[in-house]
Amino acid sequence: MKLKLPASLGSQYLVLLATIVIGAVVLGISSGGNFFGPVSMQTFFQFLAVPILIGLAQMITLAVGQLNLAIGAIGGVSACLAAVMVADWGFNPWLGALVCLVVGAVAGLANGILVVVTKINGFIVTLATMTVLLGVQYALVNTRTISADNWKPVAALGKASVLGLPAIFVIAIVVAVLVGLAFKYTTTGRHLLASGDNEHAATLAGISNDRSLTIAHGASGLIAGFAGFVSFASLPGVNQSVGGDWLLSSFAAPIIGGVSLTGGTVAVFGTVLAAFVVRLVDSARAEFQLAPAWVNLVIGAVILGTVALGRLRENRESTKAGMLRARVATHRINAPHMAETAAKEASL
Amino acid sequence: MSNETSPAGAAKRRQGIDFKRYLTSPQFFLVLIIVVLVGIIGSAKPNAFNGAFVIAPLLTSVAIFTIVGLAQMMVLSIGQMNIAVGNMAAFGAMFTGLAFDLWKMPFIAGLLVGLVAGALIGALTGWIIAKTGVNSFIVTLAMSFALLGLIPTVYTTLSPGSAFTAKPEGMEFLGRGTFLDVCMAGYCGPAAIPVMVVPVLLVVLLVGGLYSKTKLGREILLTGANIKAAELSAIPTNKRVVLVHAISGALAAFAGILLATSTGSFTPAIGNEFMLQSFLGPILGGTLLAGGYISVTGTFLGITLALLIRRGLELFGAGIEMLNVFLGLILLVALSAERIRTVRRRKPAELPSETPPDQPADRQALSSGATA
Repeated sequence: MKLKLPASLGSQYLVLLATIVIGAVVLGISSGGNFFGPVSMQTFFQFLAVPILIGLAQMITLAVGQLNLAIGAIGGVSACLAAVMVADWGFNPWLGALVCLVVGAVAGLANGILVVVTKINGFIVTLATMTVLLGVQYALVNTRTISADNWKPVAALGKASVLGLPAIFVIAIVVAVLVGLAFKYTTTGRHLLASGDNEHAATLAGISNDRSLTIAHGASGLIAGFAGFVSFASLPGVNQSVGGDWLLSSFAAPIIGGVSLTGGTVAVFGTVLAAFVVRLVDSARAEFQLAPAWVNLVIGAVILGTVALGRLRENRESTKAGMLRARVATHRINAPHMAETAAKEASL
Repeated sequence: MSNETSPAGAAKRRQGIDFKRYLTSPQFFLVLIIVVLVGIIGSAKPNAFNGAFVIAPLLTSVAIFTIVGLAQMMVLSIGQMNIAVGNMAAFGAMFTGLAFDLWKMPFIAGLLVGLVAGALIGALTGWIIAKTGVNSFIVTLAMSFALLGLIPTVYTTLSPGSAFTAKPEGMEFLGRGTFLDVCMAGYCGPAAIPVMVVPVLLVVLLVGGLYSKTKLGREILLTGANIKAAELSAIPTNKRVVLVHAISGALAAFAGILLATSTGSFTPAIGNEFMLQSFLGPILGGTLLAGGYISVTGTFLGITLALLIRRGLELFGAGIEMLNVFLGLILLVALSAERIRTVRRRKPAELPSETPPDQPADRQALSSGATA
């Protein structure tokens, strides 16, 4: 059993990796090699940062068995507030960047505290905060687009590259590694997983579920704020549409990556790989000049397929386990019976 | 609409308690807030309740959104959710528009085409949930995005202006007519009440009757309350899940079509605002997210309250951003109040436990698809 689990996880990563390689090759051939050109690759990785970050943000709430519908709104508000502060109120651009993270963390903590204090389902709480934040975002920027020229030093970071890769992509990967390490090696990370897997068992083990929920929502908000910062740094301008289309891809990455919706599991590597797949679909859409609506359709279908397949596999395994149990049970029933007949025969 | 049945004698003995319970019910609370709000708006803006120009549009939107709320309430009653409610509305309306514009169908036939399309897409969603056992949130989210991709594509390929504008006989009457147009024996009705109220009332009564009077309705509620118990009671839970999603799809489509008839054209934007409202109504009205308990009157009152607040804010000149902020805050405050109320009511009955009482239920709501 111990050997089997990593193997099955490994196979899922292999499928994802194969999908990415095949998808990249197909895109490369159909674009006549342009896809692998330096400019195209730069944009590919640059716009990969946000899917990775929002996937991670959602993954953390899923790990404790919650949802966060407000990720897009948190990212949007943080980017817009930073833009307004820098452009209208004359703050230092780097302070604006910091504000993104602070807003994200505060909004996430507010979600967590609301969930814990009111005991309302996380879905409804984040639906409500999402609506509130969308209103705030609209109030901040209205219909205008604030140009990135106002924060040139930060925008320079958005265009900078480290070892041939965009700096913001590297930042996203660093965040992913940190999240992975936190779940693997810190007590808090293990507590989150324990709460998500079985909260009664977690309570009995002396873990505070309330603390886990608050931390998970706070961390989710902080990473959503990071995604807001990435948008702030890399987009040519910030307006009220920032974060508007994050909802589906935030769920797509962790679910395709193998995170269970019922809590208790994380898959950082899987989430990052799945974010690659999501980004590839988007690139393919641009390459074949399809309507943006098609991305929604394809990703919606892929999510359904992944979850249904995982469910089927689970069913098959539980049937197999049931058959094994049945065989053991019949063996146990038959064994004394056989001993009895043997004794009878002996006495005769 | 209360769903408690009890022997007549016991009911009589408990009448005093029932009356008290009625006074503390969310429905009574909602009526109270609505009355107070109407009073405030009426006294601050005396001309706010001009029949034909304010009341009639308000009633029209209450009628439409009550159906949207019921579409969500159906799915909540089995402990699941329908994120795609707005997209299903757009899907049904798209077929009605197609029927009018391309197939030149009469009004009633086109309406039926739309309802059937809504029911089919709902049934497909329910079938996927029942067959795969995947969480309803994810299935309907994926479905919502699939439809979000499909619907504008169909509109742009089949109509020149991305909208179906054909108006068969009867559409104007249902969508924009008021009782002023209904004259009998030389007397015409008030201009404040739109014609749309009649079919909507009929549907509300049908849904209420389904839950309170029929065996099927009780089976649906039991499926939502405890799916394992329902299965052990020989209820075909998978069929009930499919049926509930089909009805939800049909109701959503009906709401979409009503909205289209009231605005006069079928566009891909129909249903954009349905999702939040669809949750607001039932939840304010006391329907449980975990399933097993519904309230049709509560849904209607919740929707009325949300729309009244909306209209009130508009009258006082609040912008669209403030509307969103307020709606979200109302949802939170109302739910917290509701939570305090239930906790207080439960206290004498059960010992305070370490774990919050609703957590297993929430968990069940999320994973009930998985146990199917």
